[in-house]
Amino acid sequence: MSADARTQILTRIRTALRQNGAVPMPPAALDRRMTAPPTAPLPAMEDDRVSRFIAKADANGIAVDHIASLQMLVPALARLLSETGLKADISVAPALADLDWPKDWQINFAAGRREEHLSVTFAAAGIAETGSLVFRSGAGSPATLNFLPDIHVIVLRTGDIAAYPEEVWDRFRAEGQGWPRAMNVIASPSRTADVGGIVVRPAHGPKAVHLFLLGSD
Amino acid sequence: MQIASQQFRERASEALLDPNIRTAFDGLKTGFAAARARSVAALPEFPAMREAARNIRTHTLENLDLYLERYEEAVRAQGGHVHWAEDAEDACRIVRDICRKAGAKIVTKGKSMVSEEIGLNAVLEADGCEVLETDAGEYIVQLAKETPSHIVVPTVHKTVQEISELFYERHRAYGFEERVTEAADLIAQVRAIMREKYFTADVSLTGANFLIAETGSNIIVTNEGNGDLASMLAPVHIVTAGIEKVVPSLNDASALLRMLGRSALGMETTAYTTFMTGPKRAHDLDGPEEYHVVLIDNGRTKMLDGPFREMLRCIRCGACMNHCPVYLSVGGHAYGWVYPGPMGSVLTPMIAGLEEAGDLPNACTLNGRCQQVCPVDIPLPDLLRRLRHERWEAGFVKQTVRWSLGLWAWLATKPRLYRSLTRLGMAVLHKLGGKRGRFRRLPLAGGWTGSRDFPAPQGQTFLDAWSKGAKQP
Repeated sequence: MSADARTQILTRIRTALRQNGAVPMPPAALDRRMTAPPTAPLPAMEDDRVSRFIAKADANGIAVDHIASLQMLVPALARLLSETGLKADISVAPALADLDWPKDWQINFAAGRREEHLSVTFAAAGIAETGSLVFRSGAGSPATLNFLPDIHVIVLRTGDIAAYPEEVWDRFRAEGQGWPRAMNVIASPSRTADVGGIVVRPAHGPKAVHLFLLGSD
Repeated sequence: MQIASQQFRERASEALLDPNIRTAFDGLKTGFAAARARSVAALPEFPAMREAARNIRTHTLENLDLYLERYEEAVRAQGGHVHWAEDAEDACRIVRDICRKAGAKIVTKGKSMVSEEIGLNAVLEADGCEVLETDAGEYIVQLAKETPSHIVVPTVHKTVQEISELFYERHRAYGFEERVTEAADLIAQVRAIMREKYFTADVSLTGANFLIAETGSNIIVTNEGNGDLASMLAPVHIVTAGIEKVVPSLNDASALLRMLGRSALGMETTAYTTFMTGPKRAHDLDGPEEYHVVLIDNGRTKMLDGPFREMLRCIRCGACMNHCPVYLSVGGHAYGWVYPGPMGSVLTPMIAGLEEAGDLPNACTLNGRCQQVCPVDIPLPDLLRRLRHERWEAGFVKQTVRWSLGLWAWLATKPRLYRSLTRLGMAVLHKLGGKRGRFRRLPLAGGWTGSRDFPAPQGQTFLDAWSKGAKQP
């Protein structure tokens, strides 16, 4: 049945386009458009990308800190845990498993759990235009860790901040690793305004997002 | 969803008397419409970006067959399944069969307008599934057995008080005994209930803001994170999408997303933009085992074939309704179906039929604001005017209206008679208006005098004044 529906729908589309003067793109031009997609006009960006990224992330409610190297992440997390009064029972993306994690911390290096107070994940890119972070799901970075925790801690290399999403897509295309199951672009903590138009944080995802920018540009 | 658009007049009249509706929908003007205006004013590139967005949609529609084939190929290459559905019934059957095969008991849903268009929830419920809307707003209207009154903010019509009552009554089943009245506490209950459901669901269903031919992805945008959690935690993920949702590349999607957030909410971006591509990979630690996309026609190829093709550019932002004086006065429910406001007044007759849509094409002042704020420049007023004409041609206009319009047309083409009659009418009304110069009540004009006085005519008819003015140097 559905194979039949496919033929019917595609036939109707072709007939409709032919009869109504649509000009189909020649196959070669269409191939070019697909392999080297054009970029539409972009909003101008006056600041440098790192300052713009930090300003936007901050305005979106993401707390931004700097660490000089990955070795500084564990002490920074220890401070965050003591500030928030959480016990050291956290989830960490396997991509960060090799760090020198304290032996007395309970750490889940796997997918997210039903109750998740804090998780630490590694972003593949930042977008200065909107102050967003881009995650690629994979063995080292389960997507659930980006949505289940109350507090989402993110590590991003400063050098991975792009001006626009189009630059990120270009980078991913060039890296040639194929497309992951999920690319999550995250701009702020989770929120809703569905009850009386009042903004409530969180809705279903994290109530706080804490970003550690790694190294300099 | 049952279609009640033929009762638009009655439902609109009732809505106009409801002060809650007036307050709630009036808030959209100061809220979303104002936020949109600010974000557009802050962006000098906006007109160029809008034109590009329009061109992307037009280009895609003109090559829709090719992009759908490329998209399908890309989904299959990633291990996903693509199904094609001719109409609502076909689409529901496909989804139901996938759910049956998965032995589904609990189905979690992210927001999907097309799933409401095809009436999917009722079909799955009749098949024994518990279907849960996970978006807080959609969940509230589902629990209240209502329908969304806005495509972006489904609960515009509901007060905090009403939601508090609803939860107090229905959430005891989940162990929430106390009455809570704060928005944050109400949402906390939704969060707790859904957290459990995400982990126990057998199937998740989401829509797609866009489908990308380049990668085989579907995009969903949310501020809550509900669609993401639903789709990554259930073992089977089904995407329902209209065939017009496809765009060529990630770059095209980014250009359209810039317009979507600004037009819908006056925001540069939503909290979450997720690109989902196929099922869990071999080494992945999470994600669904199965990934299905149901591509739905349901009247769309008919729109492609003729003057309504431009309507298929629509990206479902809701800006047209936020700026429509009719929608803002009568609210979303008066329209009687899934899509309200100007876009709904075009989509309902196109999808559900001209007769079913009743008076919707007339629910328009032709002020043109909807087209001005449309991120892809859909000529909504022109399309509505064309639908009025088609309704007339098809004989769906009431006899009384036809006769009175016929009489008017006859009179208007007899200039002498027309002028004498209007002069006479004016003189009589002037006399009757007396010293006050206005009427509190006037036969046949109750709609006007219900909320304001009707001024009695003063001086000459327009045509007399005009010809006198024209004689002066």
